[in-house]
Amino acid sequence: MQPDFKSSTHLHVIRLALTIAGVLVAGILLRQALLPAGYGTSGRYRPGAELDEANRTVRNLANDACLACHPLIRKLHLAGTHATVSCEICHGPGVDHVQDGKLAGAMPTVAGDVIGPVCLRCHGQVARLRPLDSIRMVSASDHLTGHRVRADNDCDQCHHVHAPMKWVREAREMVGLAAEPEGGRPWTN
Amino acid sequence: MDELERIREEIDLDRRRFVKKVLGGVIGGSLLLVLPAGAVKVAQQISGLAAGTDPVDPDRKFAFVIDITGCIGCGYCCVADKNEFQVPDGYYRTWVERYVIDDQDNVHVDAPRGGLDGYATARLDIPHPVRDTFFVPKLCNMCEKPSCVQVCPVGATFRTADGFVLIDRQRCLGCSYCVQACPYSVRFIGPESRVAEKCTWCYHRLAQGLRPACVEACPVQARKFGDLNDRESEVYRLLHEPNVISVLKPEMGNEPSLHYLGLRREVV
Ligand code: HEC
Ligand code: HEC
Ligand code: HEC
Ligand code: HEC
Repeated sequence: MQPDFKSSTHLHVIRLALTIAGVLVAGILLRQALLPAGYGTSGRYRPGAELDEANRTVRNLANDACLACHPLIRKLHLAGTHATVSCEICHGPGVDHVQDGKLAGAMPTVAGDVIGPVCLRCHGQVARLRPLDSIRMVSASDHLTGHRVRADNDCDQCHHVHAPMKWVREAREMVGLAAEPEGGRPWTN
Repeated sequence: MDELERIREEIDLDRRRFVKKVLGGVIGGSLLLVLPAGAVKVAQQISGLAAGTDPVDPDRKFAFVIDITGCIGCGYCCVADKNEFQVPDGYYRTWVERYVIDDQDNVHVDAPRGGLDGYATARLDIPHPVRDTFFVPKLCNMCEKPSCVQVCPVGATFRTADGFVLIDRQRCLGCSYCVQACPYSVRFIGPESRVAEKCTWCYHRLAQGLRPACVEACPVQARKFGDLNDRESEVYRLLHEPNVISVLKPEMGNEPSLHYLGLRREVV
């Protein structure tokens, strides 16, 4: 006594198939509309997106760029122990100074009583703070009183900022101490 | 003779000569010195990459290596990064964490202002004597299997053929799924741009043949960057010699291209 579920027209199957096809077509059209042109040609992203990133402005230059225009600093800096130190640490980003090969503005310098904290960020000796092999450290007050100067003397009174050991070496040579460098290291700038 | 005075004089003289040469009779009194275009030749730091070359080069496999045993925590990498990308205050594309271990083996981690001001003073709030201190710089890990790319609903975060995970700022909706998906917390939604932002290993500098800004700023070469397909490169040597090399959170399976030299087990 089962009712006959068979529809002679298969209308429900056709309806279902049409719905699925409709959703598929709509999905494909929507995808086409939403995806950027050329999507997938170079990867799963909008072609050119990586170029947008690559075209960002370079704001920090490199030491080589600075040294190309500052030949005297070049001589000092490359001969000294600060050869690896970036100019822009002390002078700020190059983009404020040169743009497209043109001078765009003055370069700030830190000197005198504001240089201390800059030096000590790298050289400051704080108990067990920095790895010993990486950098030579001084404790500001001990270092200054050790050289018999007042504790508020500025670092750049004795150290040339671009070649920190230059004046020290020259002073030593003047008083004839050049023969025996400390720890067997040759004198540097 | 006063050496300082002599050098100053020399520099002044040189500058005057230089300025004179450059100006060559151009407008006096102008605030802008006009130099011939292309006057500044920046030496290529990464061979084969220079302005105008295709930035995507699948023959390269870049890697970043951070030497934990070398980092002095000066924080100038963070300063360079902030300058390079004009990162808004309170957001960090790269930062330096300080790990302090006391004699009870408690680990104290801090990163005031992301290390932007360096670490010039010791931590005073640790009750026990300090056994050891070290610094861990953090930045984008450029994963081979980046979870941020997987979760992005609009394909705005992608991985290029040469392994850079970048963000399409035009397409990003700012939904911040990727911010949550990143196991290394390197992403943030820019407060002004309203799109996801993160470290790119200075993709734009590489396109000019320049090293990343933080690598350039590091005074002790604790940040190293190079091409693993170049057997002469330092990163190739470091990763192929018996060094203690590890990545962060290897159990996440993201396969980072950022490696740490001398990483300690305390680091998370
Ligand atoms: C450790 C910090 C530091 C670094 C690194 C540094 N400078 Fe300087 N620079 C200074 C200071 C401080 C002065 C001001 C010196 C003075 O007044 O005698 C200065 C002055 C200058 C001047 C002006 C000279 C003058 O007498 O007016 C130039 C040019 C210069 N620097 C270029 C460079 C270049 C190029 C580099 C990178 C190779 C560099 N500096 C790296 C601290 C630094
Ligand atoms: C295109 C050439 C050029 C480049 C590149 C260049 N400079 Fe200069 N710089 C000059 C000139 C010219 C002056 C002199 C400006 C003056 O006296 O008014 C100068 C002056 C300076 C001064 C003295 C302060 C001032 O602005 O007068 C400093 C410090 C300085 N430069 C640092 C740098 C650093 C650091 C870099 C690298 C980021 C750099 N320069 C790159 C041309 C250049
Ligand atoms: C960005 C970090 C940094 C800054 C800032 C910095 N230095 Fe240095 N300094 C170095 C590095 C790196 C060396 C070379 C490694 C070494 O021998 O310590 C060095 C070397 C030196 C040396 C020679 C040490 C030796 O005996 O070979 C002196 C002296 C020195 N710096 C003084 C200064 C002074 C003074 C200042 C501030 C004007 C300063 N430094 C700023 C990183 C820095
Ligand atoms: C009165 C002169 C003078 C002043 C001021 C001075 N130094 Fe020195 N510094 C020296 C001399 C001389 C040396 C050579 C090594 C020695 O004799 O201690 C030296 C060495 C150094 C060294 C290398 C230490 C080593 O172990 O080789 C560093 C780093 C240094 N100074 C940093 C600084 C900093 C930072 C300041 C500012 C707080 C500063 N100096 C101020 C005279 C001075």
